[in-house]
Amino acid sequence: MRHYHPRVDVTHRYRYVPADFVKHLMGTTLVVAVLTAVLSGVFHEPVRPALKINTYATTHPKEFLTVALGDLNGTGTIANYGPPYNHGTGSVQDFVQKWIGVIHPVYPREDFVLKPLGYAAHLNPGLAPALKQFTHASSAQQRRWEKAFGGSLKQARVQGSQVLLPSGAYGPVGTMMQGLLELGQSGLMAGALNRSPADYQFDNQNALLFLQGSPLHNAAKKLELEGNQWGIIHEERAPYPGPWWMTIVTAIYQIPFIANASAADALALGSGMVIFLVLMLAPWIPGINRLPRLLGVHRVIWRKFYATHQPDPVDISHSS
Amino acid sequence: MNWTAYIRQKMGVLFSMDTWLPTELPEYAMGLMYTLGSLTASSFVILVLSGIIMAANGPQWWTISSIGFYLRGIHFWAVQAFFFFMILHLLRVFFSGAWRGGRERTWMLGTLALLVAIPTAFTGYLMRGDFYSQWNAVQSKDGLNALGFAWLNPLNAGQMYGLHVVVMPIILGTIIAIHIAFIRIKGVVPPYPSHEELEEILNKEVP
Ligand code: HEM
Repeated sequence: MRHYHPRVDVTHRYRYVPADFVKHLMGTTLVVAVLTAVLSGVFHEPVRPALKINTYATTHPKEFLTVALGDLNGTGTIANYGPPYNHGTGSVQDFVQKWIGVIHPVYPREDFVLKPLGYAAHLNPGLAPALKQFTHASSAQQRRWEKAFGGSLKQARVQGSQVLLPSGAYGPVGTMMQGLLELGQSGLMAGALNRSPADYQFDNQNALLFLQGSPLHNAAKKLELEGNQWGIIHEERAPYPGPWWMTIVTAIYQIPFIANASAADALALGSGMVIFLVLMLAPWIPGINRLPRLLGVHRVIWRKFYATHQPDPVDISHSS
Repeated sequence: MNWTAYIRQKMGVLFSMDTWLPTELPEYAMGLMYTLGSLTASSFVILVLSGIIMAANGPQWWTISSIGFYLRGIHFWAVQAFFFFMILHLLRVFFSGAWRGGRERTWMLGTLALLVAIPTAFTGYLMRGDFYSQWNAVQSKDGLNALGFAWLNPLNAGQMYGLHVVVMPIILGTIIAIHIAFIRIKGVVPPYPSHEELEEILNKEVP
């Protein structure tokens, strides 16, 4: 148990001078108000338009189909993610994640492809038979169609916003995927993905998860926003300042050992937390708690006071 | 003391005029160095005020109306000011060894304010509704999921909105208020004493 000397580092040994705090606080608030009002007037705030599914489906139709095929055949990142979305294993970093369980269930095959196609089939009657044929086929047959479609998609040519597929043994999957592409381009896909059971939309989860792989990553890479590009602290429109207060965590992500680990996020955020604890517990950490006296910056902070009162400050208290 | 009386007493200090608007200060606690904490607090006030106006107008307003967009700019730059002044303030109190004399709690609450301010700002970035929001939402989910915080779903704009405009500011505001109350209760840390002064203090033993 530490104790403080009752007469060291106490304020009542010093002279008090009158201070007008109302004026002081009004002053600082006015400074910040004027500063921010001017900055906003002159520079506004940076805005980078959102990536919309319909824009993406129109400008990158082939990539759109590649993403959708990954969702259908279960090779996509979200299809394999694991908790909290499903029972995959692809993105499970540690046991806590597993322990939390599937609390935001997402099954891309159904949620990103088959259900949206079910909605689209109401508007595009041609889709209904294909969908029926697909869902009634054996899973082995479904796999063969998906595989054949994947092969043809690689050979496909893009003409404007169309994808021209060579023919192949992909059965109904060709019709289905072209239907999904149309749905994507129509602007209705986000609505088909974000379905709240209460019919009130507050949640963008599934539309974002649909885009989260190559669509968002490729866009982010161009803007140097990826994790290994110091992306966390970049504002997408230089020279605007980004969230620079996360510099330390961002720096941790640049360490190859952490960046390449399969539990990269758990490691980076965990190390960030350790650094924070060092800061928080600095008053008790021997060495660090004496640093301020040794560094002597306090001579600048209290320059006026030392100049008039005490030329030779020392420190004997236990904590510093 | 029973707990109701204890709460009464603590609340009395927390909400007193003397805590918030003192009329005198120690002579060494003057100048710009001692204004950094207030500038941080004032930035928080501007954040809350601009935030209230935006919240009152609903989540689309700040992207589609020019007044809303202007307020959003104020809010954005006030965040920059908030962290800028906070870090300068942190440096000032660190180099003062301001945890001396039983002021560790003040320091810890300050660091806690810094820690809580980060997710407060982060949830705000998710409210922009632009590419930056989309990207941060999908990127942060992996870390949250891995650390067992999957119930915080950055892809759920409604949940993030509630956290950003109500939950986080209340937590942060409370931490700041207690931080300031502690400073006032203990008084700002005095300069490092001189040899002569120390000798004088320590040799004049109380019986
Ligand atoms: C939300 C952010 C913060 C606000 C609004 C705030 C506000 C204040 C104010 C108004 C003061 C009074 C005098 C001064 O300005 O020096 C103060 C003092 C202090 N702050 Fe903060 N602060 C914040 C964050 C921090 C942080 C991040 C730390 C440290 C890690 C910290 C540690 C301290 C300490 C130790 C004192 C006492 C200084 C002394 O005794 O001289 N504060 N704070």
